[in-house]
Amino acid sequence: MKRLPLAAILAAFFIFLILEVSVRQSVLLLVGVGMGAALAGARFGFTTGWRQLIEQRNPQGVAGQVLLLALASLAALPLLGQFSELHAALGPPSVSLLVGAFVFGLTMQIADGCGSGTLYKAGLGVPLNMGILPLFALGSFWGSVHLDSWLALGQMAPISLTDQLGTSGTLGLTLALLAAVLVATRLWVGAGQTWFDKRWMVGAVALAVLATINLLLAGQPWGVVYGFGLWAAKGAVALGLFDPAGNGFWGQAGNAQRLTQTVLMDVTTITNIGILGGALWVSAKAHADSKPLTTQQWVIGLVAGFVMGYSSRLAFGCNIGAMLSGISTGSLHGWIWVPMAFAGTLIGVRVRRHYQF
Amino acid sequence: MTTTHQLQAVFWLSLAAFLAWDFKTSAPVDLRNEPPLIAAGSGQATSGGHCSMAK
Repeated sequence: MKRLPLAAILAAFFIFLILEVSVRQSVLLLVGVGMGAALAGARFGFTTGWRQLIEQRNPQGVAGQVLLLALASLAALPLLGQFSELHAALGPPSVSLLVGAFVFGLTMQIADGCGSGTLYKAGLGVPLNMGILPLFALGSFWGSVHLDSWLALGQMAPISLTDQLGTSGTLGLTLALLAAVLVATRLWVGAGQTWFDKRWMVGAVALAVLATINLLLAGQPWGVVYGFGLWAAKGAVALGLFDPAGNGFWGQAGNAQRLTQTVLMDVTTITNIGILGGALWVSAKAHADSKPLTTQQWVIGLVAGFVMGYSSRLAFGCNIGAMLSGISTGSLHGWIWVPMAFAGTLIGVRVRRHYQF
Repeated sequence: MTTTHQLQAVFWLSLAAFLAWDFKTSAPVDLRNEPPLIAAGSGQATSGGHCSMAK
């Protein structure tokens, strides 16, 4: 689609949100468009960055992600200390988190995109990711339906590092751990590698700024997965396939209320739509390259997308909700998520290679 | 029109149809109870859904 009609459609949707939903949601749509443009314009792929580190000993993607995490933490942690209205992304350390993050890290390599990656690649028009998105939503819903059973296997209350260490202590620990990630990366890639690439750095700065604006406006950190699950849940309820009243997750007051409201009132839904729109905007000038897939690759990719959605709920978020938002707001679960997802990715890149993606 | 363009058209039309159906069938939005534009400093507790939530 050309940029002029696309701009007109986005402007019309923006005005519709102002008139029919709320000014906040309309502004969050613009934040989402910015996120999509930054993700797609910089090809800021969390999945790709990890794969390049493992297979090519290329540290540029991980360096960009560490910069994003550091900048987002430097902004979010003091803001959380300053404004009581803002929430951290606190997920419970649990068996569910361990299993979910591992499986998510594995399947995101096969599906070639995490939560945000699936969104921006779908927006760019990559066929597999467009096919994966509805299955990701279905998997995310299914995972939320089963979440109570997974939590029954063992869990602790969510741990806020800020509650334990204070804002400056958490910030110091976060930056020290991020520095440790860079040291480990340096040991793996060896000397003589180029660490900084303009594309990754610009993407990191833009996403950190937009994630901070999201936190200030919405009162909660950037998330992706909840919106997906909500879409599928609403569909399942409408079709009479699911009764939320008896479910441990959707029967909770807040979730039950959101099932009766339009998804346009949901924060993560609006930024997700914005990300799709922002990536579509970028695709008008820079088409996505994607090689044709065999039937077997399609089937494996779509199954991986469904499992990725399911595991993202068990893991209490994807690279955005758990890793970026969890770590930058001082949640211990973000720091548990990363090594488990990376362990899964170590297997995922091999599976990906086996099926010649 | 290429297959990819056809897939894109189906994808975007499906999304638009879902959003239109959802808006039409959901409870009406209470415009008088609009959340503040900026949550920080508003004095109002936020209650949005997030993927990190266990409940």
